[in-house]
Amino acid sequence: MTHLPARITALTATAAAVALIMSGCSSSGSSTSTTSNKSLVVDNTFDLKTSDPARAFELTGSIVDKALYETALTFEGSDVTKPVPQLTTYAMSPDNKTITLTLNGKHEFSSGNPVTIDDIVWSYKRVQGIAGNPSFLLSDLSTGKPFAITKTSDTTMTITDTAANPALPYILPNPSLGVLDEKTLEKHGGSIEKTDSAESYLNATSAGSGPYELSSYNATSQVVFKLNPHYVGPKPAYSRIVLKNVTGPSQKIDVQGGQAQVALNLNSQQVTGLASGSVAVAKTTSANLGYMWLNQNPTVSGGVTNQPGFVKAVRHAIDYSAIQKLAGSGSTQPGGIVPSQFLGSLASDSANSTDVAAAKSDLSGSGYKGQTVTLSYPTDATLDGVSFADMAQSVQSNLQAAGITVKLNGLPIATLLDSFRAGKLQAGLMYWGPDFPDPSDYLTFSPGEGLGLRAGWTSAMSPEVTKAKDAAIAAQGDARAAAYQAWQKAANADGAFVPLVQAAKYVVTNGATGVTPNAIWTLDLAKVK
Amino acid sequence: MTALPVSRRRALRIPVAWRRPAAIGGAVVLVLWVLLALVDPLLGLQDPLKQSVGDALHAPSGAHPFGTDELGRDVLSRTLWGVRASLPLAVALVAGSLLIGSVLGAVAGYLGGVVDEVIMRIADLVFAFPTIILAMVVAAALGPSLTNAVLALLVVSWPNYARVMRALVLGARNQEYVIAGRLLGAGPFTSLRRDVLPNVSAPMLVLAMLDFGNQILLLAGLSFLGLGAVPPTPEWGSMVADGVTQFSSWWLATFPGLAIFSVVVAFNLIGDSLRDALDPRTAGAVQGSSI
Repeated sequence: MTHLPARITALTATAAAVALIMSGCSSSGSSTSTTSNKSLVVDNTFDLKTSDPARAFELTGSIVDKALYETALTFEGSDVTKPVPQLTTYAMSPDNKTITLTLNGKHEFSSGNPVTIDDIVWSYKRVQGIAGNPSFLLSDLSTGKPFAITKTSDTTMTITDTAANPALPYILPNPSLGVLDEKTLEKHGGSIEKTDSAESYLNATSAGSGPYELSSYNATSQVVFKLNPHYVGPKPAYSRIVLKNVTGPSQKIDVQGGQAQVALNLNSQQVTGLASGSVAVAKTTSANLGYMWLNQNPTVSGGVTNQPGFVKAVRHAIDYSAIQKLAGSGSTQPGGIVPSQFLGSLASDSANSTDVAAAKSDLSGSGYKGQTVTLSYPTDATLDGVSFADMAQSVQSNLQAAGITVKLNGLPIATLLDSFRAGKLQAGLMYWGPDFPDPSDYLTFSPGEGLGLRAGWTSAMSPEVTKAKDAAIAAQGDARAAAYQAWQKAANADGAFVPLVQAAKYVVTNGATGVTPNAIWTLDLAKVK
Repeated sequence: MTALPVSRRRALRIPVAWRRPAAIGGAVVLVLWVLLALVDPLLGLQDPLKQSVGDALHAPSGAHPFGTDELGRDVLSRTLWGVRASLPLAVALVAGSLLIGSVLGAVAGYLGGVVDEVIMRIADLVFAFPTIILAMVVAAALGPSLTNAVLALLVVSWPNYARVMRALVLGARNQEYVIAGRLLGAGPFTSLRRDVLPNVSAPMLVLAMLDFGNQILLLAGLSFLGLGAVPPTPEWGSMVADGVTQFSSWWLATFPGLAIFSVVVAFNLIGDSLRDALDPRTAGAVQGSSI
């Protein structure tokens, strides 16, 4: 056996080591040489409960379902003012009661089945039948009566509301109205009745015609997407996408280090000084709205939060400018519950203005005797990166300055949502992301409506607000904006909700482009390049 | 004839085992923290709860030597106030665990039989779970608060004391002086109180002293996980948790973290020295090598 000279051995070893290091470095980037093997990591703070469109109604659920399912109509990029065709084209009836949908070319589910009008009708009826959180999208806002959904031919269908509803085309792009593969789902418990049991199947294997299929799903850690080979649209740039549940501070480290190419939940403090080299920071005004609720149900309110004087005192005690400072530059205080960028938004309202003297005066006439008010807030969710714990402490400090004793009750978002939806919490902080870009989406914050009832607010408690809501629904054309503003003013004067802040939305990328935030689904993963 | 010498004045003598730099250092740190806890309100520092969002996340400076947090509160003031939560609760925790564990352990060891079996199997049940996990379960069930965190830690801490006490009582109860006491007519509880307990108290004291640091860490751990102190209470564990969400603002977690470190190390050094002083087996060795 011959021995190589030591120098050659050393050189060979060094070259091998350098080659290994170089190969390691080259593979650490976001993309590989071939498009088909490109992988994308997106960091997001999860509020995910399910990926079943008919049940999903959280921000993360919208990101997931947008990637998996196509909808009848959609929006292009961040422009939510103009619905455009996806699975169908549309036409509104002159009386604004009926929308007619016509199949728009050929689309296929990931199973290979073609998308038919029957699938769309079935998917919509399933949303109505399950009566999950998004079911209100397909119901009349004032009466709660489900829309009539009818197949009119093999290529057309109609959706009819009992009253004029100009928001219909704006509702249909919501990812919760994603179209499902009826034939596949019926084999796995899918039904248009409340007895539907397809959720577990959909959380393991998606059944849509969107650009991606579900590869793996874990509601608390990550969702992995793979390409849908039957998708008829433009082929996405990434063949595999990992949507990870990561807290804000870790998102910063991930995107700086290149472990993630997109970070969705960094706040203004965290993005300061971050833009350098391949890291870019984009800022838009978020349509997500942080609000406070005060339960009006006498049995939950403790006889405190349902007192009109107390509610007024709270509205005047809050230091809205301090909350805006917490939310960072670019944040705004909405005048009402409709976000500033939508039709009918209120620029400001004196009912929601800081005036500690007025707060003390209102409080003295409210019958408040120093009882402790429990303010709940989510501990593991943020308002576009802004900590609810910080906002809660700020509100607590403001209310205590006005003489109101507040106990903070931080809860995991899943627990908080369950209790809030059951109407069991006395007061708290939450957020609302728009389901569709129309002020009628926010009518759920009315007495007797979905969100209103979560705050124990029945229509009998505030007839003026109910009247203003009915007027807003009835308004047509240019009168809509003024009617919705009047409704918000009435709700601010006698309501359970205090709009607090719209934070700035920051999206940080490292090597990725095409990241266009959207008010409805946050981010279309298929558009990232 | 010379006058008788006046009676010699006894000099204040510190036991040899205590004359170690480690013990002195630990005692000094602890005394400093206790003093700070007592005089904190007199120092004229900023109110630890006072918010000034405009001054949020300022780095350490003359105005704020430990910087400010995300709500513009003074971190120095909050760190110093933190000791007022941590130290008394640690004392309460150790005292409670010592009392419950000692009583149950003594009863189990002295009476034996079914009583011993029942008490020790319950202790085994608690031992079967990792301490922090069981404490988390109990604290989560009770709801987040410092009081509930202390109750949760009491539930998981007493078996340690019970087991040691039982072993000590088992060894002592057959000693001749205990048997003699019984023969002179002492009842079991009188015998336990008069003859046994005084002879087993030293090791329990050492165990308690060594446990202080552990309890402070567990309490801070529960608060760190959101199961202890509720905002805005300044508590070291929750302050470290706040700092973790703001990596760029290193001062948020560093100073409360150092506070936890210093108190835990101080208690451990004192506990070690106490053990050396009270245990005859190690006392000799220490005496030989002490300065």
